[in-house]
Amino acid sequence: MRKQFHVMGMPLVLAILAGMMMAGCSATTRDFDPTDTIHYDASYDFSDKNKIVDALVESLSHRSPLAARNDRPVVIVYDVANRTSEHISTDLITDDIRQRILETGKARFVNKVQRDNIQKELSYQYGGDVTADTRAQRARQVGAEYMISGTLRSITKKEPDQVRLKKRKLQYYSLTLELTDLESGLIEWADSVEIVREEAKPIIGW
Amino acid sequence: MIHLRKIFPPAGWRSFLLCGLMLFFAGCASAPLKQARSDFYGGRLDRATQTLAEPSDVSKRDRLLFFMERGVILHHAGRYEESIAALLEASALIKDQERISAAEQAGSMVTTEWITEYKGEYAERLLVHTYLMMGFLLADRPESALVEAKQALEIFNAFPKATARDHFTRALIAHCFEINGEINGAYIEYKKLAEQMADPAPVADKLASIAGRLGFYDDVETWRQYLEPAEIGPEQPMDAELVLFVGQGRGPIKIPRNIVLPPSIRFSFATYEDRTRYFYQPAVTIASKAGPVRMVTTNLGAVLKDSLNERLTRILVKETARAAAKEVIAQQIDDPLVEALVRVAFFLMEEPDTRAWETLPAYLTMVRIPVGGAGHELAVRISGEYGGTVRLPPVNIIPHRRFYHYSVRDGFAETPGDAAAP
Repeated sequence: MRKQFHVMGMPLVLAILAGMMMAGCSATTRDFDPTDTIHYDASYDFSDKNKIVDALVESLSHRSPLAARNDRPVVIVYDVANRTSEHISTDLITDDIRQRILETGKARFVNKVQRDNIQKELSYQYGGDVTADTRAQRARQVGAEYMISGTLRSITKKEPDQVRLKKRKLQYYSLTLELTDLESGLIEWADSVEIVREEAKPIIGW
Repeated sequence: MIHLRKIFPPAGWRSFLLCGLMLFFAGCASAPLKQARSDFYGGRLDRATQTLAEPSDVSKRDRLLFFMERGVILHHAGRYEESIAALLEASALIKDQERISAAEQAGSMVTTEWITEYKGEYAERLLVHTYLMMGFLLADRPESALVEAKQALEIFNAFPKATARDHFTRALIAHCFEINGEINGAYIEYKKLAEQMADPAPVADKLASIAGRLGFYDDVETWRQYLEPAEIGPEQPMDAELVLFVGQGRGPIKIPRNIVLPPSIRFSFATYEDRTRYFYQPAVTIASKAGPVRMVTTNLGAVLKDSLNERLTRILVKETARAAAKEVIAQQIDDPLVEALVRVAFFLMEEPDTRAWETLPAYLTMVRIPVGGAGHELAVRISGEYGGTVRLPPVNIIPHRRFYHYSVRDGFAETPGDAAAP
């Protein structure tokens, strides 16, 4: 009886193990709503970007000076300096803020990123191949009245070394954004968003 | 009916077969790594990068070495963006490896360390960020260099004893803070460096200058004591600063050491052995208006040895446990012939883990040269076994840009007598 189990039971166990391995190896995909909040670990992710943009656009468009103006002042967006210890593309933040403010109709934006291409296109138009009446006129670009700039900072605090099964880490992010009047040099608006998250990772795995 | 005892041999033979398999795998050091290192030191950098083209070219256990070696080879080939990509993979892998694999550790307890994933010495982990900082600066991405500087600081804080003598990396961290306008951070790091160096003169000018900007006037006087009288006076900053990263010689390799106890107990461990024994300070010649040349050097051999020593207790405890586990297994085998074979296999299997990042230089020096005027021509002369003179491309100083970075390396068998930097 025992021998029979050995002979018949072993293939069954092997088949179950093989099945489990196959199931674990198959690739799966699923879509998420970009507005959902999803975190795999404590580090910065798209959910944080959304939270930051939502809060800052709300503040910028509903507070002075933009809220008090009906003439859609011209704004230029400078980079948000990354002062964290992670490689974070802060362009995503500034691009989203610009787009959302444009949607509110509270301001217009100078296209700083495409300046070189604008120059190139104007040079082409004045190179002789474009009819004079369809050329974009030179020296008609609009100067910005305000400048947006900011800094993303982080502080990481790790649990001290001790006997434990999980490693804990506290992650803090702060993004400060400023709107500066280019004529006076005064900061006319500033706000910040803070995110604090704890992560616990098992020390031992298979 | 099939009888399983006919398919699977008795326990002793199973142990023997397992030992044979492990011995086979342990002996399989990733051949492409050896080939790439040989090509690199032979001056065939393109061939070396082709040998290490895909991570699948090496065993999963050596994946970290793949990224580290590839990163350094590409760096010295002047392909900085590709080097950055490889080293960022190394950095990500190191973070993933923080989790201890129970299966791997259990397996290595009765076999050999070679079956475990290579995790890098503490100093090697730091040097991943060092090369990333250099790469980002050379690729004109100072903000990303600062990100790496902060990650390097985490390693300095986590392993202070093992990394204390890496002055080059500390100077580079301070430089990354400075170039990004974070002068508070720069001052703190230059100060830590000055405290660790026997003679803080190479960074005293920076400390005096930044202390002045921060309003620490007492500190200005302290740091000026280390400067030559001619360097003290009304401050007239030069237009720009040339920063050279000079790698010299070949970094140390790990070699096996053994202690044998009768009848068949073998303790084995690895130690670092230097391949370049003498340090010759690089000589920089500049044919235009320049200030004093200042250098901060790290002896990588010394730092790597400190790192290995830091792990020594842990290595010895594991070695002892493994020897005990193997002895227990051998004693439980009834058949004397099988027991003898298993003992031989265990003995042979006890090979120390001599994996190491072997394309590193023996010495890394950060050279700073303040310059005035618009154009400069530089040459770096390195003495020693693999030395030579490297001419740098002419430097054109652009208004509003203060720092210019270059990387130079010797250590190749075929270093030409008069070569141009990539």
